[in-house]
Amino acid sequence: MQTQSVGKRYGRGPWVLEDVTVHVPAGEIVAFHGRNGSGKSTLLRLLAGLSRPSRGTVTGRPAVVGYVPDRFRPPERLTALGYLTHLGRIRGLTTPDARRRARVLIDRLAVAGGPHAELRTLSKGNAQKVALSQALLVQPELLVLDEPWSGLDTSAHGVLAEVMAEVAAAGGSVVFTGHGESARTAVAGRAHLVAGGRLHPYGHESPREQRQVTELVLQRPGAPSELPASGDSSRVPPPPPWSRSPGVLTVTDHGADLVLAVVCAEADAVLLAALRDGWSALSVTRRTAPATTAPAPGPPSPPATTAAPERRTDRPAGASRAPAPPSRREGGRR
Amino acid sequence: MTALIRYSFATLLHSQRYLAPVLLFAGLIGILTVNGSGSLPPAYAASAGALFVSQTWLTSALAGLDDPTQRAVVVLSAGRGARVLAATVGTALLAAGALAVVGLLFPLWIGSYQVGAADLLLGAEAQLTCALAGTAIGLLCSRLVFRRQGYALATALALVLGLLFVQGLPPVNRLFHLMSETSDAAALLAPAAGMAAVSAVLLAASACLTHHLAARRD
Repeated sequence: MQTQSVGKRYGRGPWVLEDVTVHVPAGEIVAFHGRNGSGKSTLLRLLAGLSRPSRGTVTGRPAVVGYVPDRFRPPERLTALGYLTHLGRIRGLTTPDARRRARVLIDRLAVAGGPHAELRTLSKGNAQKVALSQALLVQPELLVLDEPWSGLDTSAHGVLAEVMAEVAAAGGSVVFTGHGESARTAVAGRAHLVAGGRLHPYGHESPREQRQVTELVLQRPGAPSELPASGDSSRVPPPPPWSRSPGVLTVTDHGADLVLAVVCAEADAVLLAALRDGWSALSVTRRTAPATTAPAPGPPSPPATTAAPERRTDRPAGASRAPAPPSRREGGRR
Repeated sequence: MTALIRYSFATLLHSQRYLAPVLLFAGLIGILTVNGSGSLPPAYAASAGALFVSQTWLTSALAGLDDPTQRAVVVLSAGRGARVLAATVGTALLAAGALAVVGLLFPLWIGSYQVGAADLLLGAEAQLTCALAGTAIGLLCSRLVFRRQGYALATALALVLGLLFVQGLPPVNRLFHLMSETSDAAALLAPAAGMAAVSAVLLAASACLTHHLAARRD
């Protein structure tokens, strides 16, 4: 599938996309990154066939397209199972087949509340799981995912990555958007940056940002703050599931503590999963990955103020992603 | 298509948006036809008028039920937007069929009219004409075309009043004019069928225009 010099504007408004030529081969996963309002969603709508280009052409779009919108607003009163059964029938399945397929997907994605939960009662993450399920009722030849990671818990991240890999392995194309590391750590074979309505090769956006990692020091549930001197490390349980979620770079086990190096964009999600699991956070530190050299420090200044501008300049678009200011080690154990 | 119509009905019933237009219909035929007597065509003209107004409202509500993103999901599931629009029209007409049966039988039950086969057939033609015309206006004055509900409502009101009251304007006003003047239903069957055909053309034109305008917005 291919777009040729595609441009899009709504009415006589400004051009949202200009001269976008992109190749989406069968069996490939293609990522589009960019800031909010950069035109990513519009590009996905063009690829999905929901919107017609004002200029240029889109060719080779397969017949079966699965689409996961950015904001999913299903009919509120239907149950998850009822909704998916309806959409399965619309896709041409028989009622029993649609129902069976819907149950499989609800189980696999672990939609909270199960098949009989009314859609209006679902949280954003669970609604997102239903949105993903409807796109997979019939094996899609083109799977279009707009911000699929938003709202999903870390355990669902793994399933999402699996699903994308499966669609690609079956010869389908997958296109998705994201604006951070979460998308980079996924299985994308190609990545593009959408900025100013044009397409750029991804990877040159902010090398500084990519070197940053967040170090989480976590304490096991129930463990005393000081580890008993007796070396009963044989009783230490296996690493928890969230320590294997995408974005976790290294895991170091110190007995009662676990030290994780996580890409910045994923740190919040991993931390949240750990806290839910009963773990305690001992420290959260943003630092530069050791493999690369740290950026040259600015003019000499007191230590307390060198840290502050470091953080501010960090991620202008995603400041909320930084869970804690740097140098929190002194917080110590609770 | 069956699956799409089932989905439309399910969302319509769950949303309860059908209730207000159905109550309006019930109220109008109650007021307009209760305790009537004499020849049936004028009473059927009144009940068809009630259907026309309610059907406009019902279709507009039905077409606007899905959020635009949900509509996008349904369109991609169905393969084509035109198919989804056709299902909306189909659902609206099926609902109108149920109302039309009430519109035909209620006057017989509540009043004391002279009933003949030709009267019933003419009544059915009148209901059909009004169902098609109401669907045509409702579709055009829905969320698919108008972003703002106020403009949609004002346009729908203007169109409905125009079709009802502009003297001699086919299909609705012309049909009602004929029906109110005569008691010989058999003589009106052919002209009424003509008005139903005009309504069908109106609906086809409205569906094409709605599809075009909705697609241009995307």
